[in-house]
Formats: sequence, C-alpha cells, structure tokens
Amino acid sequence: MSQDPLHLLVVETRFPGRLGAVADWMVRKRGCRVTFFCHQADPAPLWPEGTGKGLEVVSFNVGGVAREATVPWTRQLERGLCHAYGAWEVVESRRIRPVDVILGRSNGLGSTLFAPVSYPRAPVVNWFDYYYQARAMDLAEEDAPTLPAEYVQWRRSANAMDLLDLENGVVPWIGTHWQRDLYPPEYRDDFLVLHDGVDTRRFKPRDPTTPRLIGGREIPEGTRVVTFVSSSLDRLRGFDRFYRLAARVLAERSDVLFVAIGDPAVGRTLDVRFHGQNYPDALAKASPLPDPSRLWMPGTVPPNTVAETLAASDLHLVPSRTYPVARSLLEAMASGAVVLAWDAPPIHEVLKSGENAVIVQPEEVERKALEILADPGPFRPIGEAARRTVLDRYDRDETLSSLAETLNDLARGGR
Amino acid sequence: MNVLFIHQAFPAQFGRLSLELTKRYGWTCDFLVENLSSCPTPSAEMLERLKLYRIPTPTEARDQAPTPWPQIHAKYLGLCSAVFHAAEGIPDLKPDLIVGHGGRGSPTVFLPDLFDCPILNYCEYYFSTDPRSDISYRIDLPPANDVAPFFPRCINAPVLVALTNADGGYSATRWQKQSFPKRFHPKIEVQFDGIDTEIYCPKEGTPRVIAGRAIPKGTKIVTFVARGLESMRGFDVFMKVAARIARQRSDVLFVIAGNDHAYYGWDPLHVGQASFKSWVLDRVKHDPDRFLFTGQVSPEVLADILRLSDLHLYLTVPFVLSWSLLDAMACGCVVLGSDVPPVREVIDNGIHGLIEPLFDLDHLTETALRVLDDPATYKPLGNAARARMEADYSLDVCVPRLKDYFERMASRRLASALPDADV
Repeated sequence: MSQDPLHLLVVETRFPGRLGAVADWMVRKRGCRVTFFCHQADPAPLWPEGTGKGLEVVSFNVGGVAREATVPWTRQLERGLCHAYGAWEVVESRRIRPVDVILGRSNGLGSTLFAPVSYPRAPVVNWFDYYYQARAMDLAEEDAPTLPAEYVQWRRSANAMDLLDLENGVVPWIGTHWQRDLYPPEYRDDFLVLHDGVDTRRFKPRDPTTPRLIGGREIPEGTRVVTFVSSSLDRLRGFDRFYRLAARVLAERSDVLFVAIGDPAVGRTLDVRFHGQNYPDALAKASPLPDPSRLWMPGTVPPNTVAETLAASDLHLVPSRTYPVARSLLEAMASGAVVLAWDAPPIHEVLKSGENAVIVQPEEVERKALEILADPGPFRPIGEAARRTVLDRYDRDETLSSLAETLNDLARGGR
Repeated sequence: MNVLFIHQAFPAQFGRLSLELTKRYGWTCDFLVENLSSCPTPSAEMLERLKLYRIPTPTEARDQAPTPWPQIHAKYLGLCSAVFHAAEGIPDLKPDLIVGHGGRGSPTVFLPDLFDCPILNYCEYYFSTDPRSDISYRIDLPPANDVAPFFPRCINAPVLVALTNADGGYSATRWQKQSFPKRFHPKIEVQFDGIDTEIYCPKEGTPRVIAGRAIPKGTKIVTFVARGLESMRGFDVFMKVAARIARQRSDVLFVIAGNDHAYYGWDPLHVGQASFKSWVLDRVKHDPDRFLFTGQVSPEVLADILRLSDLHLYLTVPFVLSWSLLDAMACGCVVLGSDVPPVREVIDNGIHGLIEPLFDLDHLTETALRVLDDPATYKPLGNAARARMEADYSLDVCVPRLKDYFERMASRRLASALPDADV
C-alpha cells in the first residue's frame, strides 16, 4: 500500500553518489522519507542538506571478494553480487515497513538485485549509466589496438550486472537518449529517459556587482578564467586535451587563468592505463606548462565552490571523449558559461553549435579558444542561451517532479 | 560450409548432428571441447570424420567441488578465455559459422575478436524466478533457503552476456525458447537436434536380458531413465509410485538407468547429503530385488532396455526435456509423464502417451496400473509416440532443417545498431 508521501529505499554503493541529490530533493520538495543504503560515504561537507532530516543514511558491509582492494576482471560480477548481497543483508535486518519504491543504481556495485527478496511487491527503479561497447566509445578506440586481448574481453563481459538488473523486473531509468541507445535494441524501449537535472538555483550566473571569487581567492579584474570540471582529472573527460590547450594558450596570453576542478587521481577503471595515478602530474612531467601557477587545481571541492567557479568562468571547456554528457557541462550551462566543446556524438543531444555552445573539431580548438578569450562579449549570448536550455530541459525541479510522478504511479501500481 | 562447434563434452549435443552434416552435405565440422564423454563415447566414425581440438581446462575449473553461486560467472569467463586462447592457437580454424552450447552460457563471447563469422548459441534454458518452474518447483522437499531466493536472480548472467554478444540462437523445443525473456524470442529459433530413430526403434525379439539379468517372459518391466537420479527428474516420485505398484503387482521389475549424481538443482541442500539416490532409497520402503539400477548405459543398451519396457515413467519438473523421453517414444514405449508444459509439448494426453500431475501419486499409480493390467489397450499410444518421433523429431527430419538454418545464419552478420562512434 503506497503512502503519501512516499517512503523510498535507495541503494547505491556510495553516498551521496548519483542518487543522493535525487533523494535529497524528494525529501525536501516532496516530503518523502528516504532510507539510503550505502557501502561508503563521502565526507560530511559533501552531503546534501536533507541528510538527517528525512534522509537517513544506513551503511552496509560487504563480504567475499568485495572486500579485496582489487579483483581480476573476471570476478567483477561476483564483486557486484557481494555488494548486492551486503545491501540485502542490512535491508533485511532493518525490516523497514512500508517501502513504496526501491531506487538503485546499476553500475555494478550499487545494484538492487536482491532487494526484492525482502520487498517482493515494491517496484524497483534503477538508474543506469553506461553499456560498454567492445571496441568503441570512451577510450576504447585509442586503447584497444595496443592493449592485450583481455582489455576487449573485459569490455565484452562488463555489462553482466546491468543485464541482470534489466531482466529482474526493474524500471530502467537513464539520463539521455544517447546512453539509452548504447544498450542492446531488445532493451531500449523499456527505458525511462529522464535526466536527473541540475540545481539551477545553485548553478546560476554571477551577480556582476559582486567580486569574482574561486575558493576564496579573488580573480583580478581583466583576468580571463577558463574552466574544466570533472569528478577526476582524467583522460576520459579529456583532461589531456584541456592541458595541451592550456599550454598553448598560456604561451599566447598572459591574462588567462585555467581552473581544473576534480580529483587528480584517476578514479574510473575505464582508464586502465592511468587508473589510480595522478594524471596531472604525469602530464606535467612529460610536458611542463609555461607558467604552472596559472593552472589552479583545487581538487575535489564542495558543490558551492564548483558553482562559484563556473559562475566566474569566461570559457568552459568540454574536451570529453565519447562518453555520457557530464553533469558539469549542464552546471556550466546553468551558470551562463560559454561552452567550447570538442565534437562528440553525446553532446549533440544537449548542445547546438552557435546557439548554446561552440562545438569544434580538434584542429580548430586553439583558434576558437583564443578568439573567444580575445573578445568574450560577442559570445555571451551563447552562455545566456545555454542557461535557458538548462532551465527549459534540465532544471532539477522540473526533471525530478516528473520522476516523482513516475514513482507515485509505480507506488500506486501503474506506470 | 565449415562449422565450428564448441561444447564442454563430445559427442554430447553436437556430435551426431555434425556427423550427419558431414556425411549428408560434405560439410566440415570442427570441435573445441573440454573432454570426451565416457557415455556415450564418440564413435570411430565421428573421430575419423570430425576434427577435435581440446580446450585446456581453466585452472579455476579443475576443482571438482560445486562452484558457489556468486562465482559461477567468473568460472564462465575463465572458460570463455580458455576457448579464445585455444582457438587462437589453431591457425587451421576458418569457420563460416560458430555454434556454441549455451547450457551455462555459450563460451563464445570473445571469439568475434578472432573470427569474422556469425556466432550462434544453443539456447538450452533460461532459469526462472517463478517458483512454479525448474529448480524452485519441488516445494515438497526441505527448502534450500541459503540459495533459493538469490540463485535465480543472478544465474542467467552468462547466458545473457553470451546471447547479447551472439548473432542468434536456437532452442530444441518451443518451451525451452519460451523460458527466455520475450525480448529475445525474435533472435531464437526452435530447431530440434534429431533423435536417431534407427537405434531407438521397436524391435521384436530383443533378448530379455538387462545388465546380465535374465527377465522372465511374464515379468512386466517399468523403466525410468535420467542422466542423474535427482529430484528435478522426479527420481523420488518414481520410487514412491514404483513402491505402490510393487505392492499391487508381484510381477513387475523396475529398471532404472542413470547416475547417482544431481546434475541440476539443489538436492544436496534439500536433503543434507551428497547422494539424493541414497536419501530416497533410505526413505522409500522397497524390495531391492525388484529394482535394477544399471547406472549410465550406452545408447545401444538403453535402446534395448526401452524396447523391453511395458511402461516408461518420465516424471520431470518443468525443465529442459530429456532426450530419454524422446528415445523411449521412438522405441514405441507407452509413456506416463508428468503434466508439465515441456512434456505436453511432445505428448498429447491419451494420444502419444499419458500424463498426470507430478505430485499426484494416487493418479500416477492408478494410471500405471491400468497400463500394466491392459497393455493391448495402451499399445496404440506407443505406436503413435513412435510415429510422432519419426514425423517431427527424427534425424531425417531435423538435420535438413538445421542445415537450412545454419546456412541462413552463416550468411548474416549482426547488424550494427550502435549510435555513432567518436568522430
């Protein structure tokens, strides 16, 4: 029997992760009760404000191979099953009743696979991220030809947990059509395509009467700020491209400050060459910048600092490889930043060159960047249009309202 | 046409089929196999006409202990890797088509990196989370709580990974195909492998000797055949029915062919000991002299046993149909089967055999006794069973259909349905 408001049970390996913001919004805007089961939690300053005020975080432990720091690629699913089992064990012991909807993330380690053992009648909605292609997308085209056969074999087998979740009765939920179309044709029609949105009140253009600050440091008048934001400063999101462009622009102009927000350690296992390494250090050793003091890398920062940085940006770079549209791109757009993006299929779902962004081929990037930095004025309408795009299509209040309706329908027994 | 078959064992599922493809159409059939079966063993003709290559058993697969369910997928990927490396080391392999057995996931997932040809999966079965099917059906046994809720939710991972990486697949029966998620049905055809109706056929004058024991002419023979004497094939139900029959008639000998091993399901968990057979025999009061256990036997011996059968019991749960049922029907046996969908696919009740609910011991016993009391009345059912096997399930019918199917599939490649790659 559904409650009004709903009680949601959320499973994701890390809190707040991807679903933390969703859970927080459901608590604050819809009055839901949320119990969030996670294996690990980020430091408290990174938690959303609803935590402890309707959003309860419960940790679960894992056993077996999931306790090991690294496992062979062939045991990736086993690791995921151990996580799903660990989550189930705590879910079962807490015996929370009633639960209206279960929300999970099918990224291999946050699966709700066994939650229905405890809640056989609760509908399950799972956020899906990415379906691996054997030799295409992300870094595969660059890496597959030179890496051992196991690299492609891992990719061919890496979708097992997603497939299990898709076959175990979840409502699959995904952020973009491009991501959805990576999945086998047999599954595509099942997906709810709905971006989880960005907080357009936090990410907004700077009040021009206030000083430009980044992490408490004031930006001198006349300085051009070029930004890059990613969870980690890695190849997948094109930090190498950003770095090379920075080297050329710094040599050309003395008034430019580059700011790259994100963890310098490569966190995504997709980058098998640099996983766990400090990638900016590796690039700097191979090719030092002309003036390293003009590349700020504050690491991982709280969301308000990201918002402050993007609002101070004159040019936001999106050099990502072919990979799902980053949340930071939408946040930059919401902030009214002028976005310069390397051409890649996923961004076309969001960006239209000349209207809400500038999309270029790799060989044109330097010329275009210098053109924008030389005279940002004519490009400002592009930033304003970008903000409108996000307000129209990716405003969290709108997208999550739509999700809330779906969850309500499911709790009432329909979809 | 050159077909590469991949299976754990040889000849098993593909041996006879490939021999027929070679003999009838001049095809070349190569095999990648882990081991040779001891029963049935490969024939001299098979070894002469077919090229066999061995897959080295992956280190982690050498352990004979049952694999814990969370590790099954890793074991499968180890086998995929072993198949890849074995194939990589055989430059003579130039297949136009690859056919992999998918009982536990076809180990063909990595082969697109070696061969530019279509890959088919033999889609044997997709485990269900529905408690009315396969491993969950035996609710009458002590529960296997440790695995029951979890196993069906993850055991299909190898099958799914294999099928999404394959160009197509085929199942032996409609029911097996329907066990797969509906979304995959357009990718799976129904193609039966073919029963050897020359070996499995009625034959007057078959000597009444089984396992060296002479069977008097007046003795009725009731048969039960399964690869393993286990709960999913209803061995315990058979013993209960047999014990009741034995109490009613003193002239019946029960002949049971099969290994003391549980190939499917959770029998050791259900009963708390390794041997389900022993567990059953300890609990069902019976006269050992009237029960003849032959172990696993060769096809020729099995055919002789079935020819002597006055009644064949096939008491499976809803699961992959056993070849032994079709072998018995091809031999003209009167079959009494469990009333489950895969059995109903081949037996129309009262026409090609008889069916009763699996758990209904009373009706199973009554029906069995009626057949034994009045064989002449039921003989037409055995004849109809034989006719059905000849018409729909024989090698002569099935091999040409499979040849057409393989040719169709060999001419196709998996259409790329991906969004644009990086520009």
